[in-house]
Amino acid sequence: MSTYIVRRLLLMIPTLLGITVMVFAISRIAPGDPVSLAMGPGGQMDAERAADVRKARMQLYGLDKPVHIQYGRWLWRVVRFDFGDSIKHHRPVIELIKERLPITLTLNLIAFVIIYVVSLPLGVLAAVRHKQFFDRASSVALFMLWSLPSMLVGQMLIGYFCGPTFKNWFPPAGLSSNYADQLPFFPWLADRLWHLVLPVFCLTYAGFAYLTKQVRAGMLDNLQADYVRTARAKGLSNWAVIFRHAFRNSVIPVITIMATLLPMMLGGSVIIERIFSVPGMGLLAFEAVTTRDYNVVMAVATIGGLMNLIGLLLADIAYAIADPRISFESSV
Amino acid sequence: MSSSATGKQSQAKANWGVSYGEMVWREFVKSRLSAASLIFVVVLFLLAIFAPFLANDKPFVIRVDGRLHFPLFRNLRPNDYCVFLAATVGIFQLLLIRRNRRRIDPSIRGAVFWRQICISSSTILIGGILAFVFVPRRLDATDYKALVASGEASDAIFAPIPYGYARTELKLREQPPSRRHWLGTDDVGSDVLCRLIHGSRISLSVGFVAVGISSVIGIFVGAILGYFGGKVDFVGMRIVEIMMAIPTFFLIITIVAFFPRSLLNIMIIIGITSWTGDARFIRAEFFKLRRQDFVQAAVSLGLPLRSILFRHMLPNGIAPVLVNATFGIAGAIFIEAALSFLGFGVAPPTPSWGQMLSLGVGTTGRFLWWLTLFPGLAIFFTVMAYNLVGEALRDAIDPRLRKAV
Repeated sequence: MSTYIVRRLLLMIPTLLGITVMVFAISRIAPGDPVSLAMGPGGQMDAERAADVRKARMQLYGLDKPVHIQYGRWLWRVVRFDFGDSIKHHRPVIELIKERLPITLTLNLIAFVIIYVVSLPLGVLAAVRHKQFFDRASSVALFMLWSLPSMLVGQMLIGYFCGPTFKNWFPPAGLSSNYADQLPFFPWLADRLWHLVLPVFCLTYAGFAYLTKQVRAGMLDNLQADYVRTARAKGLSNWAVIFRHAFRNSVIPVITIMATLLPMMLGGSVIIERIFSVPGMGLLAFEAVTTRDYNVVMAVATIGGLMNLIGLLLADIAYAIADPRISFESSV
Repeated sequence: MSSSATGKQSQAKANWGVSYGEMVWREFVKSRLSAASLIFVVVLFLLAIFAPFLANDKPFVIRVDGRLHFPLFRNLRPNDYCVFLAATVGIFQLLLIRRNRRRIDPSIRGAVFWRQICISSSTILIGGILAFVFVPRRLDATDYKALVASGEASDAIFAPIPYGYARTELKLREQPPSRRHWLGTDDVGSDVLCRLIHGSRISLSVGFVAVGISSVIGIFVGAILGYFGGKVDFVGMRIVEIMMAIPTFFLIITIVAFFPRSLLNIMIIIGITSWTGDARFIRAEFFKLRRQDFVQAAVSLGLPLRSILFRHMLPNGIAPVLVNATFGIAGAIFIEAALSFLGFGVAPPTPSWGQMLSLGVGTTGRFLWWLTLFPGLAIFFTVMAYNLVGEALRDAIDPRLRKAV
């Protein structure tokens, strides 16, 4: 098993390099650069001085070198865990990420806990009532929820509940009110939760469908298995058969799904974070892209790619641990 | 005993003439939900095709100084002609497929079908180029409604929704739904319903072109990797892995933000970031097919590689790609809406659902619910319809696939 993991980790290196090369190439091939974007059309400055300023700033960010040398320098820095400075914020990218990551993480952790808490019983119930009214109704309802675009839900919620037009129940933006950090702990927590309600709702509703479907499918498989029939034949109560036997076996793959959700948890949702102005990873990525903050773009792409790869590996390992019938040697 | 045997025989005879496509179709129409969503998709198509006839500020016919004019037809743009041509050829092609099933021998039906597809698509391509070269781009700023109102013109027949999608009429901005504007007006006074109808063109074209690109890349890469295996496969799979591990939506917004805004860019970007699923599927399928006798026979006959891969092997593995494509259309429509919502979509007067949706919560703080709700519902129903069609198709083609996805 350890050889397998080492092999997978080694295979990650070229993949990660490929990702960075690709994103780097895209950012440098595209017309325009952050300096001209920041300088705008030039204003009152005369042309010669503008060219000088431009040159100086290009030099400052190392953008005057050929692309492959830029990439080499970037790679050498990243190997030492230095993602450079953000051009927009004039601060190290690592610092920015350290600031933003916990926000996205809290948001998504709460969302995932809610998704699991709702989906597990729903899935079990749907499987137990297989092909009955509850099963059909819940699957249709969840499918519709899943298809609802987050833009629509987010905009409707923020427009209806956070504005002057209809209800003014929730704050329209951010994670805390002004001067919230001067509050004692519990009022601060209440304020934070108050701000989190709508974004968390937007993050959860679509997840119910996916997870419930998985739970239901797993439960159905197990409920039809021989050992469940044996358990029933032994005279165990329905409750014991469902929860002590079938549920325990079908919950394992559902837990391993969590590993594949890891990247999503850290990456954040650009759309939802933008609608609710949550300063998380998604919004950081969005700002970086619109201001051509090359270092931030590269950092987001690299970390996102790494997380995806780790998520895939963790999922595979978790599957194998959960189900001894899967062996590592046959895969890859 | 004997009666049951003859019963079986007659049943077998009855099934003999049913083609694979027909089987899938019968299975597909069984469910009322999938039939309904297919109808919805068709209606959406018709809306997109006939958008200029449904919502237009130019009248079909108008009489000025005793002479009849046809401003709507005169002002059709080259892309309108392209759409009409494509629709006509498409319907003709569908009729041809029906006819083939009755008239053409099954053994050559495939070849005939592909030749017809080639002819149809080249007709559309050439016709489209001709339209763009020869159809003049007019700028007709005449206010026909004012002409009618002032009595200078008469006998005007307007489209059911007599507004242009690029109208700016600031006096009428941000109006809630009313009898004049069924779904209200937007921030510059354009009719929302009109923009919705015209916006369906953007959504559908992005959906189809993006999925076309991704399917072609996916099939091609998957076929090569699956057929050759070995080192080619190892290197190729690393590339596929890179594409899979890249945070896709982030890559898309990076490219869209960095490169000039255009619809074609969006289509291409969505296409080249979503082919990995198809490639993996075709690869796995070709791994299995490569060892089968008919492929060995094709190889030993000395057929060219192109023929082996795409004539002999591909038809056996194409069905899942078709299913995937249906989901892909839903996905591409959603991504396009998300991009335009974030402000990376097509440039403003061109209507796009996502961009319209984003206008609902304006800088003024007023909530223009009709601007968010209706485009949002349009995205919702479209995405859901394609997903439902996809699920029904998947179940019809192969119920075993249900679990895999």
